Amino acid sequence: MDGLTIVEQRVIAIFFMAALFWILEPIPIYATSLLIIFLELIAISTKGLNFLVESGSPEKLGSLIPYKDILHTFASPIIILFLGGFFLAMAATKYRLDQNLAKVLLKPFGENPKWVMLGLMIITAVFSMFMSNTATTAMMLSILVPVMAVFLPGDKGRMAFTLAIPFAANIGGIGTPIGTPPNAVALKYLTGENYISFGEWMVMALPFVVVLLLIAWLLLLAIYPIKTEKIKLTIQGSWLKNRKAYIVYITFALTILMWLTDFVHGMNSYIVAMIPVAVFSAFDIINKNDLKNISWDVLWLVSGGIALGLALEASGLAERLVQTIPFGTFSPLLIISSITIVAMVMANFMSNTATANLLLPLVAALGISLSSLDAFGGNKMIIIAVTISCSMGMALPISTPPNALAFATGAIESKNMAKPGVIIALIGILLNYLLMYLLGIVGFFNVQ
Amino acid sequence: MDKLYVLCVDDQREVLNALTQDLEPFETSLMIEECESVNEAWEVMESIDANGDHVAILITDQVMPANTGVDLLKRAKSDPRFQDTRTVLLTGLATHQDTIDAINTAHLDNYVEKPWSKEGIHQIIKVLTTKYLLSKGIDYNEYTEVLDQQTLFETLRKTT
Repeated sequence: MDGLTIVEQRVIAIFFMAALFWILEPIPIYATSLLIIFLELIAISTKGLNFLVESGSPEKLGSLIPYKDILHTFASPIIILFLGGFFLAMAATKYRLDQNLAKVLLKPFGENPKWVMLGLMIITAVFSMFMSNTATTAMMLSILVPVMAVFLPGDKGRMAFTLAIPFAANIGGIGTPIGTPPNAVALKYLTGENYISFGEWMVMALPFVVVLLLIAWLLLLAIYPIKTEKIKLTIQGSWLKNRKAYIVYITFALTILMWLTDFVHGMNSYIVAMIPVAVFSAFDIINKNDLKNISWDVLWLVSGGIALGLALEASGLAERLVQTIPFGTFSPLLIISSITIVAMVMANFMSNTATANLLLPLVAALGISLSSLDAFGGNKMIIIAVTISCSMGMALPISTPPNALAFATGAIESKNMAKPGVIIALIGILLNYLLMYLLGIVGFFNVQ
Repeated sequence: MDKLYVLCVDDQREVLNALTQDLEPFETSLMIEECESVNEAWEVMESIDANGDHVAILITDQVMPANTGVDLLKRAKSDPRFQDTRTVLLTGLATHQDTIDAINTAHLDNYVEKPWSKEGIHQIIKVLTTKYLLSKGIDYNEYTEVLDQQTLFETLRKTT
């Protein structure tokens, strides 16, 4: 690649550093994100270190990025959307909405272990659409672990139950834009003519979640048959009936309703996300102390991803990359299948969010340039396909925090997790292709 | 990886030996340290802190020559360096007043009567280590064999 500007070269250097650090994790993954933003500010921003950003002629240097644009990634609408989700989740936990809801939802599933397990998986998946996958897994495991003693010695059902929860949490995260951070990263690239609303995301992703969840349930039952005949899960607590609790219930329902009905009121999901933030703060439902429980590391991890994408786009590197490499000569199906498989493999060995941070900016650039992809849904299709693949980290304890928590219960060994995990991830990838094909047929990817 | 210490303080050698033997299963993750007096314990605690490591759990006998266990606990709790250290009073001879002091002034986490049960002390170590790790923000994934599941789940579900 001849004629690379200095800024572009620096973006390449930052990108490779990010890739190395996110894969090998010499420092925490959110710290890598902060490092990306820091280095971008110093080396390629309009207010960078003077001898770095004033070196050479303007043509050689390339286009510097406004420093405000880089700093804006900390409070980008996507970050606010996630913050809104965090407020909802925190209030739900604090006012025991999650636990009481789980209690009600679990009741119809009775005491037959097979159905109880399906119930647990459905509840876990639904919760992880709005809460973090980790918090959901922690909550559901805390319900499950005390009753693990009922399993007869040598009953493999214990493993089935322990794995059901993290798998359901991983799968459930796909269901909404706020379900898991990779979805948030994808939103950065789903703008303009590729814009996707909260409701559209759910319409697109929910069928996938339902089908994969059922497959995971059947698979776990087949691999680890349950011998115990009866299982009774008891969930403590009763509905809170004070003023603040009612405000939480109403705000929770209202926010979700507003997310789904943007075509009525005109506010997009980013603005709706401020409802729980404002209401819960005003009524002292989330207080100063609760703010400490916000996972700033998750928000900053996403910010770094957005900043990396920004640098690739604004420096012109993304465009140049695409022009230089003759992607046009490759088969579009080969590109789609190889990149989704790469995403799945990476997600199994490293953070799902870091995978999305690294792959999505490249994929987005690729999607724009590759006209042969248009027949299959173009840019929107490939971004969504890769994002879903980023949630297919199922096989190892290190794949996702939910997997690590389930592993820490001691009820399973790595190999017990790997077998169903690999199968579910592979089925998930195939199902992903089927979903993209069907969405293409119904015209989901058509430019508005 | 940060080193986590469990300090066992007792003036009777045989009690210390029995205790550390019972704590052996944790030796892969935790450093078990023995001290025969309050003064020795304090010196060890200061040197652990000076090295940037953690005094995670302090298990002490009450009745010892010179200073008592409760004296040590009070001193630790009033020192900012050991504010998060979790404490256990392991004794057969604490008076009513000692016990009240230990709870009210030294904010004792656990009171264990001699003779202790191995399973009981294991459970206490797990719970207290988990609480210590979470309060310090140390990556719990590196300590899986000493984690208490319920304590971990209860804390994690409150995070976002």
